[in-house]
Amino acid sequence: MAHYRPSEMRQQKAQTAPQEPNLVPIMNLFLTIIPFMLMLVVISQVALVALNFSQGEGGGGSAGGGGGGKEVEKVELIILDPQYAEKYGFLGFEIREPGMDSAKLPAIGQEYNFVALDKRIKDIRNRKADLIDITVTVYPNVLYRDLIRTIDLCKANGFTQVHYTRPTARFY
Amino acid sequence: MQLKDRLGSSDKNLRRVRRKVEDVKGLSITSLLDVLTIILVFLIKNVSTEAVKISAEPGIRYPSTITNDAIMEKAEATPVKIFTDKIVLGNESLEFGHPQELILSPDKRKAILDYLRMEATAIYKNNADDVEACLIIQADNFIPCEYVSEMVAIGTSVGYTHIYFATLEDADWLQKESLATR
Repeated sequence: MAHYRPSEMRQQKAQTAPQEPNLVPIMNLFLTIIPFMLMLVVISQVALVALNFSQGEGGGGSAGGGGGGKEVEKVELIILDPQYAEKYGFLGFEIREPGMDSAKLPAIGQEYNFVALDKRIKDIRNRKADLIDITVTVYPNVLYRDLIRTIDLCKANGFTQVHYTRPTARFY
Repeated sequence: MQLKDRLGSSDKNLRRVRRKVEDVKGLSITSLLDVLTIILVFLIKNVSTEAVKISAEPGIRYPSTITNDAIMEKAEATPVKIFTDKIVLGNESLEFGHPQELILSPDKRKAILDYLRMEATAIYKNNADDVEACLIIQADNFIPCEYVSEMVAIGTSVGYTHIYFATLEDADWLQKESLATR
């Protein structure tokens, strides 16, 4: 009697279509993460201009950084406002530098001449390569934009310690 | 016979063939997943993990600057927003009236001073010793410096050691200015 072994085909399972991985849990995870990410995302980047008040004067608006006891040579940059111009007939910048005559940079019409200011600050930088301190004195009616632009030019030309002051009124 | 033929042919023409209805396929999630992956990568790249978050206020016209100073690593900041018509303080965005009141009203000045003192004290109390209190001033281009100076004076008098002015970085503003003055 012939002995027949079972056919090999019996062991093989019927071929099924390849299954896709279940993406639903991944989708759920993504849909949870994305709103959180959207909340934390920074769409517009704001730059910063820093003033350091941690040392020296501080308070009362006439604050500044640097110093630390040692007398440092400072250049003073005064931004004069239209009220000053009404009284004294000059609108623009005044630059006081130790050992030099004070220089005046007139405004063009009602606009401050930042191009001339930049040139002047570069001249000072060329003369005094080690100097990092500069004092910006701002009159009350100068626009905030003009103050920031002035500080920005000082910083861009290597005056990292910008001291910000208001003109002091003296009564005699 | 002719009529029979005609009838036979019309029957053939009128025979309706029902289109085979295809099986409704499940929604393809793969393409949606691709889109979400791209968005996720973009968001991870742009996400800010900094403790101090500064967002541009739509009502403020920011000045442009060439320089951009990085905020201190160990800093806790209090935002001060000076709009043309109002002052908004702190992370809670509390309104403190018109900027003019900062100069004209001693009561308003005192209220601002008290609030900033409270904030500065809380920063120094709730953080490590090396953490410093910073004031981030976001002011409009056309605000007179008088208000900003007053705010800086108040801030420094209550213990804020670093003052930051929020600006928009524009490396070419001076070149544009020189073109305009020509």
